[in-house]
Amino acid sequence: MKKVLVLALALLLTFSFVACGSGSKDKDASSGKDGGDSQTLNVWCWDPSFNIYAIEEAAKIYEKDNPGFKVDVTEMAWDDLQTALVTAASSGQTEELPDIFLCQNNAFQKNVTNYPDLFVDISDSEVDFDQFAEAAVGYSLVDGKNYGVPFDNGTAVVALRTDILAEAGYTLEDFTDITWDQFIDQGKVVLEKTGKPLLSGIAGESDTIAIMLQSEGSSLFNDDGSVNIANNEELKSAIEVYQRLVKEGVLLEVNSWDEYIATFVSGSVAGAMQGCWILANVQSADDQSGLWDVTNVPKVAGVSGATNYSAQGGSSWAISSNSANSDLATDFLAKTFGGSVELYDNILPKTGALSNWLPAADSDVYNEPQEYFGGDAVYAKIVEYAGKVPSVNTGVYYYEGRDAVSDAITKSLGGADIKTALKEAEDTVKFDMGQ
Amino acid sequence: MNSKASNISAYVFLILAALCSVFPLYYMAIAATNTSVDVIRGTLLPGTHLFQNFSNLVAGTPLGIAMKNSLVNATSLTILSLVICSIAGYGFEIFHTKGKDVVMNILLLAMMIPFASTMIPLFRMFGQMGLVGSTVAVILPTISTPFLIMLFRQSSRDFPHEIIEAARIDGLNEIMIFFRLFIPTMKSTYSAAAVITFMGAWNNYLWPRVILLQKETMTMPMLISNLKAGYVTDYGMLMLAVLICTLPTVVIFFFFQKSFAEGISGSVK
Repeated sequence: MKKVLVLALALLLTFSFVACGSGSKDKDASSGKDGGDSQTLNVWCWDPSFNIYAIEEAAKIYEKDNPGFKVDVTEMAWDDLQTALVTAASSGQTEELPDIFLCQNNAFQKNVTNYPDLFVDISDSEVDFDQFAEAAVGYSLVDGKNYGVPFDNGTAVVALRTDILAEAGYTLEDFTDITWDQFIDQGKVVLEKTGKPLLSGIAGESDTIAIMLQSEGSSLFNDDGSVNIANNEELKSAIEVYQRLVKEGVLLEVNSWDEYIATFVSGSVAGAMQGCWILANVQSADDQSGLWDVTNVPKVAGVSGATNYSAQGGSSWAISSNSANSDLATDFLAKTFGGSVELYDNILPKTGALSNWLPAADSDVYNEPQEYFGGDAVYAKIVEYAGKVPSVNTGVYYYEGRDAVSDAITKSLGGADIKTALKEAEDTVKFDMGQ
Repeated sequence: MNSKASNISAYVFLILAALCSVFPLYYMAIAATNTSVDVIRGTLLPGTHLFQNFSNLVAGTPLGIAMKNSLVNATSLTILSLVICSIAGYGFEIFHTKGKDVVMNILLLAMMIPFASTMIPLFRMFGQMGLVGSTVAVILPTISTPFLIMLFRQSSRDFPHEIIEAARIDGLNEIMIFFRLFIPTMKSTYSAAAVITFMGAWNNYLWPRVILLQKETMTMPMLISNLKAGYVTDYGMLMLAVLICTLPTVVIFFFFQKSFAEGISGSVK
């Protein structure tokens, strides 16, 4: 009998020791960031074929002038990274944070405002923010101070299947620099002749509206941070356009992101309108090579200040105030993402990651014709668009605003009065803001 | 004739219900053998891309590390949890003290507190103890759960008290009674508890994601989450990872299946 007891206790002890042992080992491994190794930067970001690849390439370039330099990247999905930031900041245990982390542009304002102690102000650093697209810098600009180095370019594009357009008697030029009215009229013809809608979108989500709104130079928030939904004429115009797109069948609504991707990969719609990062998905169907091309977004007619340029998504690098190596981190970002044409040239072919750093657009790689897009130099085109995107205030409560407007769109498509739906949306956001 | 018709309709209904239950598993297995584009296009037939997906998964993710971490975390938690909760459940039922019902009620009330609300204080606590990133920090918060204590307490009710009296007269002390009599008799309850705890620990996502911040400590659910975080998702590879992640829980479930049903229904042989 004693044997059983001894065995049970031994098991308990063994596991406790194993557990404790692994704990102390992990702690040792992580202590490098607290100044243990001054040439290694810890980085949190997501997507191995995009962001992680880019930062590792940047490290290789920086290492040439700084022997021994390296980055230690921990892969973390954005939602998880956000949870980790909030938990660390709320509990006051910020020593677990890395030196550099990637932050979604739309979440930047909220994070800096709620957790100012997490971010390093890099306004007076070597990073020359004038060389970045203004709209991209705007996301990480809080009270006139820069907290992020723009990386992932979220410039909005309309990617179209030129073969389907040709079937309906159109070319890409017919969809360039146009208004939404023209887009819908031509879309109806395409639908009639080919049976295919021009666009698709996820029902109950406001991505398309957000693109239209920014192209009008407007946002859900005023410059002082107050909500601008109920009496926002630009928003109302955008929702009206969206309603017409759905009603005329030019935009096919689906239920999820996976279905959305499937619509253009399977060829059931003739195009996609998103941030330019969608091109990576567009290019996943090898059998459609040469059939796609890219143009700018339509503008909303009758709105002063409306343009054919907008943005959706994107992300920026931030330096954690916990970093013992913040000078090294700033210098690294300034000399790579904010100063190396070579970096952007290296990462473009494999990742399709486009630069927000405008000097990169002059490079030969950007001007190379892309076979998948019918030989068009689409990357140079997109960087050119990036410089024309109106800079808007995404606001601290961007996601709350977005969700409330999404509900309003669903209600208005169901027949509710737009004005009433928007008033309700504004009240919801005000409630979320504690007003 | 009527009973034959009702039999047929029952069979049709059951076959449809069975198809609905099995289809997601079938689709997961099929998708794991196809390319991402084929999955997106909705193919329902097996493909030839299984090995390619596997080599991509092994090359692009720390699959071995994540598997090992998940196994270590889930196994340690299951063993420790079973020992601690069964002792507690047994104690609550067998020994009579004044305040035990109050304590039990407090424990049950604790079940109502959502984990998200205790997450930040827990993180702070483990941070101050220097345990962030350790296995201890992953398993400690769920090492004793009111549900398991209740399960063992309920099962202990069927445990014949006369045996305990007889054992005491024969000279066994209380610890021996627990290990020598209670555990062997309650095998089915232990099996049920093991399945529930292992599955919970294996699939646990939020707390490990918050407390394990190093890439060396990644678990399988985190690996799967990362596979879906990029601009382009390789659905074939993703489904293969999900399939691999499901296997240990399936094995554990089938291994304990018989006793699991008995344990849940509370039978004592």
